[in-house]
Amino acid sequence: MSATVYTIRDSIKNLPKNIRSSVVRPVEGTPEQARAAAVFGNVFLHIHPARVHENSLRFGYTLGLGLISFYLFLILAISGTLLMFYYTPSTQLAYHNMKDLEYVVSFGVILRNIHRWSAHAMVAAVFLHMCRVFYTGSYKAPREFNWVVGVSLLLMTLFLSFTGYLLPWDQLAFWAITVGSNIAAYAPWIGEKIRFVMLGGNEVGQMALIRFYVLHVALLPVVALVLMGVHFWRIRKDGGLSRPADR
Amino acid sequence: MHLVKKEEIFPRDPNKTYSLMAIVDGDSLQVDKDPGDTVSSWPHLVLRELLLFLVVGIAVVGVSLLFNAPLEEPANALHSTNPAKAPWYFVGIQELVSYSAFLGGIVAPAAIVLSLLFLPYLDRNPAGVGVWFAKERRVATTIFTVFVVSMGILIVIGQFLRGPNWTLNLPWK
Repeated sequence: MSATVYTIRDSIKNLPKNIRSSVVRPVEGTPEQARAAAVFGNVFLHIHPARVHENSLRFGYTLGLGLISFYLFLILAISGTLLMFYYTPSTQLAYHNMKDLEYVVSFGVILRNIHRWSAHAMVAAVFLHMCRVFYTGSYKAPREFNWVVGVSLLLMTLFLSFTGYLLPWDQLAFWAITVGSNIAAYAPWIGEKIRFVMLGGNEVGQMALIRFYVLHVALLPVVALVLMGVHFWRIRKDGGLSRPADR
Repeated sequence: MHLVKKEEIFPRDPNKTYSLMAIVDGDSLQVDKDPGDTVSSWPHLVLRELLLFLVVGIAVVGVSLLFNAPLEEPANALHSTNPAKAPWYFVGIQELVSYSAFLGGIVAPAAIVLSLLFLPYLDRNPAGVGVWFAKERRVATTIFTVFVVSMGILIVIGQFLRGPNWTLNLPWK
Protein backbone atom coordinates (compact mmCIF):
# COMPACT_ATOMS: atom_id res chain seq x y z
CA MET A 1 0.00 0.00 0.00
CA SER A 2 1.14 3.50 -0.84
CA ALA A 3 0.39 6.47 1.37
CA THR A 4 -3.04 5.96 2.90
CA VAL A 5 -5.65 7.54 0.66
CA TYR A 6 -9.31 7.67 1.63
CA THR A 7 -10.79 9.49 -1.34
CA ILE A 8 -13.58 7.77 -3.25
CA ARG A 9 -11.72 8.37 -6.49
CA ASP A 10 -8.68 6.43 -5.34
CA SER A 11 -10.85 3.70 -3.85
CA ILE A 12 -12.47 3.15 -7.23
CA LYS A 13 -9.12 3.30 -9.00
CA ASN A 14 -7.69 0.64 -6.67
CA LEU A 15 -10.86 -1.46 -6.51
CA PRO A 16 -9.60 -4.52 -8.47
CA LYS A 17 -6.30 -4.59 -6.62
CA ASN A 18 -7.98 -4.19 -3.22
CA ILE A 19 -10.57 -6.88 -3.87
CA ARG A 20 -7.91 -9.30 -5.07
CA SER A 21 -5.61 -8.69 -2.10
CA SER A 22 -8.54 -9.13 0.30
CA VAL A 23 -9.47 -12.54 -1.16
CA VAL A 24 -6.00 -13.98 -1.65
CA ARG A 25 -4.20 -13.93 1.67
CA PRO A 26 -0.92 -12.04 1.39
CA VAL A 27 2.19 -14.19 1.10
CA GLU A 28 5.53 -12.85 2.20
CA GLY A 29 8.91 -14.44 2.68
CA THR A 30 11.19 -16.80 0.85
CA PRO A 31 9.97 -18.83 -2.13
CA GLU A 32 9.95 -21.82 0.23
CA GLN A 33 7.62 -20.02 2.66
CA ALA A 34 5.43 -18.88 -0.22
CA ARG A 35 5.04 -22.51 -1.41
CA ALA A 36 4.09 -23.58 2.11
CA ALA A 37 1.61 -20.70 2.41
CA ALA A 38 0.03 -21.70 -0.90
CA VAL A 39 -1.14 -24.85 0.88
CA PHE A 40 -1.80 -23.84 4.50
CA GLY A 41 -3.19 -20.43 3.52
CA ASN A 42 -5.89 -22.01 1.34
CA VAL A 43 -8.98 -23.46 2.97
CA PHE A 44 -9.40 -26.12 0.27
CA LEU A 45 -5.77 -27.22 0.37
CA HIS A 46 -4.93 -26.82 4.04
CA ILE A 47 -5.70 -30.48 4.81
CA HIS A 48 -2.33 -31.14 3.17
CA PRO A 49 0.88 -30.82 5.14
CA ALA A 50 3.22 -28.08 3.91
CA ARG A 51 5.73 -30.78 2.97
CA VAL A 52 5.10 -34.43 2.14
CA HIS A 53 7.35 -37.46 2.22
CA GLU A 54 8.50 -38.65 -1.20
CA ASN A 55 6.89 -42.03 -0.55
CA SER A 56 3.44 -40.39 -0.51
CA LEU A 57 3.99 -39.28 -4.10
CA ARG A 58 4.90 -42.72 -5.46
CA PHE A 59 1.95 -43.67 -7.66
CA GLY A 60 3.02 -47.31 -7.54
CA TYR A 61 2.62 -47.26 -3.76
CA THR A 62 -0.95 -45.97 -3.38
CA LEU A 63 -2.18 -46.34 -6.99
CA GLY A 64 -4.18 -43.21 -6.14
CA LEU A 65 -7.15 -45.39 -5.19
CA GLY A 66 -8.25 -43.39 -2.14
CA LEU A 67 -8.23 -40.15 -4.11
CA ILE A 68 -10.01 -41.83 -7.02
CA SER A 69 -12.75 -42.96 -4.60
CA PHE A 70 -13.11 -39.41 -3.29
CA TYR A 71 -13.19 -37.91 -6.78
CA LEU A 72 -15.88 -40.38 -7.85
CA PHE A 73 -17.87 -39.31 -4.78
CA LEU A 74 -17.58 -35.67 -5.87
CA ILE A 75 -18.66 -36.54 -9.43
CA LEU A 76 -21.58 -38.53 -8.00
CA ALA A 77 -22.61 -35.65 -5.72
CA ILE A 78 -22.63 -33.16 -8.61
CA SER A 79 -24.32 -35.43 -11.16
CA GLY A 80 -26.75 -36.68 -8.50
CA THR A 81 -27.77 -33.14 -7.57
CA LEU A 82 -28.45 -32.39 -11.25
CA LEU A 83 -30.48 -35.59 -11.56
CA MET A 84 -32.61 -34.51 -8.58
CA PHE A 85 -34.00 -31.67 -10.73
CA TYR A 86 -35.59 -34.25 -13.02
CA TYR A 87 -36.57 -37.00 -10.59
CA THR A 88 -39.68 -37.59 -8.51
CA PRO A 89 -39.63 -40.45 -5.99
CA SER A 90 -43.08 -41.73 -6.98
CA THR A 91 -43.95 -45.14 -8.38
CA GLN A 92 -46.13 -43.34 -10.92
CA LEU A 93 -43.49 -40.93 -12.15
CA ALA A 94 -40.01 -42.35 -11.48
CA TYR A 95 -39.85 -44.52 -14.58
CA HIS A 96 -41.20 -41.75 -16.81
CA ASN A 97 -38.51 -39.45 -15.42
CA MET A 98 -35.95 -41.99 -16.62
CA LYS A 99 -37.48 -41.95 -20.10
CA ASP A 100 -37.54 -38.13 -20.07
CA LEU A 101 -33.86 -38.08 -19.14
CA GLU A 102 -33.25 -40.36 -22.09
CA TYR A 103 -35.35 -38.58 -24.73
CA VAL A 104 -36.28 -35.08 -23.51
CA VAL A 105 -33.64 -33.57 -21.22
CA SER A 106 -30.58 -32.19 -23.03
CA PHE A 107 -27.64 -34.48 -22.29
CA GLY A 108 -29.91 -36.35 -19.86
CA VAL A 109 -28.57 -39.71 -21.07
CA ILE A 110 -24.99 -38.61 -20.46
CA LEU A 111 -25.91 -37.29 -17.02
CA ARG A 112 -27.55 -40.55 -16.02
CA ASN A 113 -24.70 -42.60 -17.49
CA ILE A 114 -22.10 -40.56 -15.57
CA HIS A 115 -23.99 -41.16 -12.32
CA ARG A 116 -24.50 -44.87 -12.95
CA TRP A 117 -20.97 -45.72 -14.08
CA SER A 118 -19.33 -43.57 -11.38
CA ALA A 119 -21.38 -45.44 -8.79
CA HIS A 120 -20.20 -48.83 -10.04
CA ALA A 121 -16.64 -47.53 -10.31
CA MET A 122 -16.75 -46.13 -6.77
CA VAL A 123 -17.74 -49.49 -5.25
CA ALA A 124 -14.80 -51.07 -7.08
CA ALA A 125 -12.36 -48.23 -6.24
CA VAL A 126 -13.19 -48.24 -2.53
CA PHE A 127 -12.78 -52.02 -2.38
CA LEU A 128 -9.45 -51.89 -4.24
CA HIS A 129 -8.32 -49.05 -1.95
CA MET A 130 -9.03 -51.35 1.00
CA CYS A 131 -6.96 -54.10 -0.67
CA ARG A 132 -4.06 -51.66 -1.15
CA VAL A 133 -4.21 -50.59 2.49
CA PHE A 134 -4.20 -54.22 3.59
CA TYR A 135 -1.35 -55.38 1.36
CA THR A 136 0.87 -52.44 2.37
CA GLY A 137 0.17 -53.03 6.07
CA SER A 138 -1.17 -49.50 6.38
CA TYR A 139 -3.83 -50.46 8.95
CA LYS A 140 -1.23 -51.10 11.64
CA ALA A 141 -0.53 -48.81 14.59
CA PRO A 142 -1.13 -45.90 14.79
CA ARG A 143 -3.65 -46.18 11.94
CA GLU A 144 -5.99 -48.85 13.36
CA PHE A 145 -8.94 -46.54 13.90
CA ASN A 146 -8.67 -45.05 10.44
CA TRP A 147 -9.03 -48.55 9.01
CA VAL A 148 -12.27 -48.90 11.02
CA VAL A 149 -13.50 -45.56 9.62
CA GLY A 150 -12.52 -46.82 6.17
CA VAL A 151 -14.51 -50.04 6.56
CA SER A 152 -17.50 -47.91 7.63
CA LEU A 153 -17.01 -45.85 4.47
CA LEU A 154 -17.01 -49.04 2.39
CA LEU A 155 -20.34 -50.00 3.98
CA MET A 156 -21.69 -46.48 3.29
CA THR A 157 -20.61 -46.82 -0.34
CA LEU A 158 -22.47 -50.14 -0.63
CA PHE A 159 -25.61 -48.69 1.04
CA LEU A 160 -25.51 -45.62 -1.19
CA SER A 161 -25.19 -47.79 -4.28
CA PHE A 162 -27.91 -50.18 -3.12
CA THR A 163 -30.42 -47.42 -2.25
CA GLY A 164 -29.75 -45.70 -5.58
CA TYR A 165 -30.33 -48.96 -7.44
CA LEU A 166 -34.08 -48.85 -6.73
CA LEU A 167 -34.73 -45.30 -7.90
CA PRO A 168 -35.17 -45.90 -11.69
CA TRP A 169 -38.15 -48.13 -10.77
CA ASP A 170 -37.63 -50.57 -13.64
CA GLN A 171 -37.75 -54.37 -13.49
CA LEU A 172 -33.99 -54.59 -12.83
CA ALA A 173 -34.26 -52.22 -9.86
CA PHE A 174 -37.45 -53.67 -8.42
CA TRP A 175 -36.35 -57.29 -8.37
CA ALA A 176 -32.78 -56.57 -7.30
CA ILE A 177 -34.10 -54.76 -4.22
CA THR A 178 -36.63 -57.53 -3.64
CA VAL A 179 -33.79 -60.08 -3.65
CA GLY A 180 -31.51 -57.87 -1.54
CA SER A 181 -34.12 -57.16 1.13
CA ASN A 182 -35.11 -60.84 1.22
CA ILE A 183 -31.50 -61.71 2.10
CA ALA A 184 -31.78 -59.37 5.11
CA ALA A 185 -34.97 -61.21 6.14
CA TYR A 186 -32.99 -64.44 6.63
CA ALA A 187 -31.56 -63.07 9.89
CA PRO A 188 -33.02 -65.05 12.80
CA TRP A 189 -35.89 -63.50 14.79
CA ILE A 190 -35.34 -59.86 13.69
CA GLY A 191 -34.85 -60.52 9.97
CA GLU A 192 -38.47 -59.88 9.02
CA LYS A 193 -38.49 -56.72 11.16
CA ILE A 194 -35.31 -55.44 9.51
CA ARG A 195 -36.89 -55.88 6.10
CA PHE A 196 -40.10 -54.18 7.26
CA VAL A 197 -38.15 -51.14 8.48
CA MET A 198 -36.09 -51.10 5.28
CA LEU A 199 -39.08 -51.26 2.92
CA GLY A 200 -41.69 -49.53 5.06
CA GLY A 201 -43.89 -52.55 4.39
CA ASN A 202 -43.70 -56.20 3.45
CA GLU A 203 -42.88 -55.66 -0.19
CA VAL A 204 -41.18 -53.13 -2.44
CA GLY A 205 -43.61 -50.26 -3.15
CA GLN A 206 -44.13 -46.52 -2.74
CA MET A 207 -43.01 -46.57 0.90
CA ALA A 208 -39.80 -48.38 0.00
CA LEU A 209 -39.12 -45.93 -2.83
CA ILE A 210 -39.46 -42.84 -0.65
CA ARG A 211 -37.32 -44.41 2.09
CA PHE A 212 -34.57 -45.39 -0.31
CA TYR A 213 -34.75 -41.94 -1.93
CA VAL A 214 -34.34 -40.03 1.34
CA LEU A 215 -31.54 -42.34 2.44
CA HIS A 216 -29.86 -41.99 -0.95
CA VAL A 217 -29.99 -38.21 -1.38
CA ALA A 218 -29.82 -36.95 2.20
CA LEU A 219 -28.95 -39.24 5.07
CA LEU A 220 -26.24 -41.49 3.65
CA PRO A 221 -24.35 -38.73 1.78
CA VAL A 222 -24.16 -36.66 4.98
CA VAL A 223 -22.93 -39.64 7.01
CA ALA A 224 -20.41 -40.47 4.27
CA LEU A 225 -19.16 -36.87 4.20
CA VAL A 226 -18.68 -36.78 7.97
CA LEU A 227 -16.82 -40.11 7.90
CA MET A 228 -14.66 -38.85 5.02
CA GLY A 229 -13.80 -35.74 7.04
CA VAL A 230 -12.69 -37.93 9.94
CA HIS A 231 -10.84 -40.28 7.56
CA PHE A 232 -8.82 -37.49 5.93
CA TRP A 233 -8.14 -35.70 9.21
CA ARG A 234 -6.85 -38.93 10.73
CA ILE A 235 -4.41 -39.39 7.85
CA ARG A 236 -2.73 -36.15 8.95
CA LYS A 237 -2.92 -36.90 12.66
CA ASP A 238 -1.54 -40.42 12.24
CA GLY A 239 1.57 -39.05 10.56
CA GLY A 240 0.69 -38.89 6.89
CA LEU A 241 0.56 -41.83 4.49
CA SER A 242 2.21 -45.02 5.71
CA ARG A 243 5.78 -45.56 4.66
CA PRO A 244 8.63 -47.89 5.52
CA ALA A 245 10.29 -47.14 8.85
CA ASP A 246 13.18 -44.68 8.53
CA ARG A 247 16.47 -46.50 8.52
CA MET B 1 22.21 -45.09 23.93
CA HIS B 2 25.27 -45.55 26.04
CA LEU B 3 28.29 -43.50 26.92
CA VAL B 4 31.47 -44.10 25.02
CA LYS B 5 34.50 -45.20 27.04
CA LYS B 6 35.69 -42.12 28.86
CA GLU B 7 38.86 -40.63 27.46
CA GLU B 8 40.23 -37.13 27.49
CA ILE B 9 39.83 -35.86 23.94
CA PHE B 10 39.84 -32.20 24.83
CA PRO B 11 41.47 -31.68 28.22
CA ARG B 12 39.70 -29.09 30.35
CA ASP B 13 41.09 -25.61 30.01
CA PRO B 14 40.83 -23.72 33.32
CA ASN B 15 40.61 -20.44 31.35
CA LYS B 16 37.43 -21.47 29.60
CA THR B 17 33.92 -21.67 30.97
CA TYR B 18 32.93 -24.49 28.64
CA SER B 19 34.27 -27.91 27.83
CA LEU B 20 33.36 -31.11 26.06
CA MET B 21 31.43 -33.23 28.55
CA ALA B 22 30.70 -36.46 26.65
CA ILE B 23 30.30 -38.00 23.24
CA VAL B 24 27.09 -40.01 22.99
CA ASP B 25 26.90 -42.99 20.67
CA GLY B 26 23.50 -43.01 18.95
CA ASP B 27 21.31 -41.32 16.35
CA SER B 28 19.91 -37.91 17.03
CA LEU B 29 16.29 -37.27 16.14
CA GLN B 30 17.33 -35.49 12.97
CA VAL B 31 19.41 -38.28 11.41
CA ASP B 32 17.94 -39.25 8.00
CA LYS B 33 15.32 -36.57 8.50
CA ASP B 34 16.85 -33.99 6.24
CA PRO B 35 14.53 -32.10 3.90
CA GLY B 36 15.82 -34.36 1.13
CA ASP B 37 13.20 -36.95 2.10
CA THR B 38 10.33 -34.50 1.76
CA VAL B 39 9.11 -32.17 -0.96
CA SER B 40 6.79 -29.20 -0.71
CA SER B 41 3.11 -30.11 -1.21
CA TRP B 42 2.70 -27.26 -3.63
CA PRO B 43 3.39 -27.92 -6.47
CA HIS B 44 4.46 -31.57 -6.21
CA LEU B 45 1.43 -33.12 -4.50
CA VAL B 46 -1.38 -30.74 -5.45
CA LEU B 47 -0.60 -30.82 -9.17
CA ARG B 48 -0.57 -34.63 -9.14
CA GLU B 49 -3.96 -34.60 -7.40
CA LEU B 50 -5.41 -32.24 -9.99
CA LEU B 51 -3.99 -34.39 -12.79
CA LEU B 52 -5.59 -37.50 -11.28
CA PHE B 53 -8.93 -35.66 -11.10
CA LEU B 54 -8.64 -34.89 -14.80
CA VAL B 55 -7.88 -38.52 -15.59
CA VAL B 56 -10.83 -39.78 -13.50
CA GLY B 57 -13.17 -37.19 -15.03
CA ILE B 58 -12.12 -37.99 -18.59
CA ALA B 59 -12.46 -41.73 -17.96
CA VAL B 60 -15.96 -41.37 -16.49
CA VAL B 61 -17.19 -39.09 -19.27
CA GLY B 62 -15.58 -41.31 -21.92
CA VAL B 63 -17.29 -44.45 -20.61
CA SER B 64 -20.57 -42.52 -20.26
CA LEU B 65 -20.43 -41.44 -23.91
CA LEU B 66 -19.82 -45.02 -25.08
CA PHE B 67 -22.15 -47.09 -22.87
CA ASN B 68 -25.71 -46.42 -21.80
CA ALA B 69 -26.90 -47.18 -18.28
CA PRO B 70 -29.31 -50.13 -18.24
CA LEU B 71 -33.03 -49.45 -18.13
CA GLU B 72 -35.53 -52.28 -18.45
CA GLU B 73 -39.34 -52.31 -18.54
CA PRO B 74 -41.24 -50.47 -15.78
CA ALA B 75 -41.32 -52.28 -12.45
CA ASN B 76 -44.06 -54.88 -12.23
CA ALA B 77 -44.67 -56.51 -8.86
CA LEU B 78 -46.79 -59.25 -10.48
CA HIS B 79 -44.23 -60.42 -13.02
CA SER B 80 -40.80 -61.24 -11.64
CA THR B 81 -37.69 -61.40 -13.76
CA ASN B 82 -36.07 -64.82 -13.92
CA PRO B 83 -33.46 -64.90 -12.52
CA ALA B 84 -33.92 -61.93 -10.18
CA LYS B 85 -30.41 -60.76 -9.45
CA ALA B 86 -29.09 -58.44 -6.75
CA PRO B 87 -26.63 -55.68 -7.78
CA TRP B 88 -23.30 -57.19 -8.83
CA TYR B 89 -21.53 -56.42 -5.54
CA PHE B 90 -24.15 -58.50 -3.67
CA VAL B 91 -24.36 -61.27 -6.25
CA GLY B 92 -21.57 -63.20 -4.49
CA ILE B 93 -23.68 -63.17 -1.32
CA GLN B 94 -26.71 -64.22 -3.38
CA GLU B 95 -24.68 -67.14 -4.77
CA LEU B 96 -23.92 -68.23 -1.19
CA VAL B 97 -27.61 -67.81 -0.29
CA SER B 98 -28.50 -70.29 -3.03
CA TYR B 99 -26.63 -72.95 -1.00
CA SER B 100 -27.78 -71.88 2.48
CA ALA B 101 -29.94 -68.86 3.17
CA PHE B 102 -28.90 -68.40 6.79
CA LEU B 103 -25.19 -69.27 6.45
CA GLY B 104 -24.72 -67.41 3.17
CA GLY B 105 -27.03 -64.48 3.76
CA ILE B 106 -26.36 -63.67 7.41
CA VAL B 107 -23.39 -65.55 8.88
CA ALA B 108 -20.96 -65.01 5.99
CA PRO B 109 -21.59 -61.24 5.50
CA ALA B 110 -21.55 -60.64 9.27
CA ALA B 111 -18.31 -62.63 9.60
CA ILE B 112 -16.71 -60.64 6.75
CA VAL B 113 -17.72 -57.24 8.17
CA LEU B 114 -16.71 -58.12 11.74
CA SER B 115 -13.35 -59.57 10.65
CA LEU B 116 -12.62 -56.42 8.65
CA LEU B 117 -13.59 -54.13 11.54
CA PHE B 118 -11.47 -56.02 14.07
CA LEU B 119 -8.53 -56.75 11.77
CA PRO B 120 -6.14 -54.07 13.17
CA TYR B 121 -6.84 -55.24 16.72
CA LEU B 122 -6.29 -58.91 15.89
CA ASP B 123 -3.12 -58.48 13.81
CA ARG B 124 -0.78 -56.68 16.22
CA ASN B 125 2.40 -57.62 14.35
CA PRO B 126 4.03 -54.25 13.56
CA ALA B 127 6.19 -55.66 10.75
CA GLY B 128 5.81 -54.90 7.08
CA VAL B 129 4.34 -51.38 7.10
CA GLY B 130 4.76 -49.35 3.95
CA VAL B 131 5.74 -52.18 1.62
CA TRP B 132 3.59 -54.13 -0.81
CA PHE B 133 3.35 -57.85 0.05
CA ALA B 134 5.99 -57.70 2.80
CA LYS B 135 7.78 -61.02 3.30
CA GLU B 136 7.10 -60.96 7.07
CA ARG B 137 3.34 -60.93 6.40
CA ARG B 138 3.05 -63.90 4.06
CA VAL B 139 0.31 -65.57 6.13
CA ALA B 140 -1.83 -62.40 6.35
CA THR B 141 -1.34 -61.69 2.66
CA THR B 142 -2.35 -65.24 1.73
CA ILE B 143 -5.50 -65.24 3.89
CA PHE B 144 -6.65 -61.89 2.48
CA THR B 145 -5.92 -62.96 -1.10
CA VAL B 146 -7.97 -66.13 -0.63
CA PHE B 147 -10.86 -63.95 0.62
CA VAL B 148 -10.63 -61.49 -2.29
CA VAL B 149 -10.27 -64.19 -4.95
CA SER B 150 -13.13 -66.30 -3.57
CA MET B 151 -15.41 -63.23 -3.46
CA GLY B 152 -14.40 -62.53 -7.07
CA ILE B 153 -15.13 -66.11 -8.17
CA LEU B 154 -18.54 -66.09 -6.41
CA ILE B 155 -19.45 -62.79 -8.09
CA VAL B 156 -18.39 -64.07 -11.53
CA ILE B 157 -20.44 -67.28 -11.05
CA GLY B 158 -23.49 -65.36 -9.84
CA GLN B 159 -23.27 -62.64 -12.46
CA PHE B 160 -22.37 -64.61 -15.60
CA LEU B 161 -23.04 -68.32 -15.03
CA ARG B 162 -26.46 -68.26 -13.38
CA GLY B 163 -29.51 -68.46 -15.59
CA PRO B 164 -33.26 -68.88 -14.99
CA ASN B 165 -34.17 -70.46 -11.64
CA TRP B 166 -30.53 -69.91 -10.57
CA THR B 167 -29.36 -72.97 -12.52
CA LEU B 168 -25.79 -73.16 -13.76
CA ASN B 169 -25.88 -71.78 -17.27
CA LEU B 170 -22.62 -71.81 -19.17
CA PRO B 171 -22.63 -68.90 -21.64
CA TRP B 172 -20.53 -70.74 -24.27
CA LYS B 173 -23.11 -73.53 -24.62
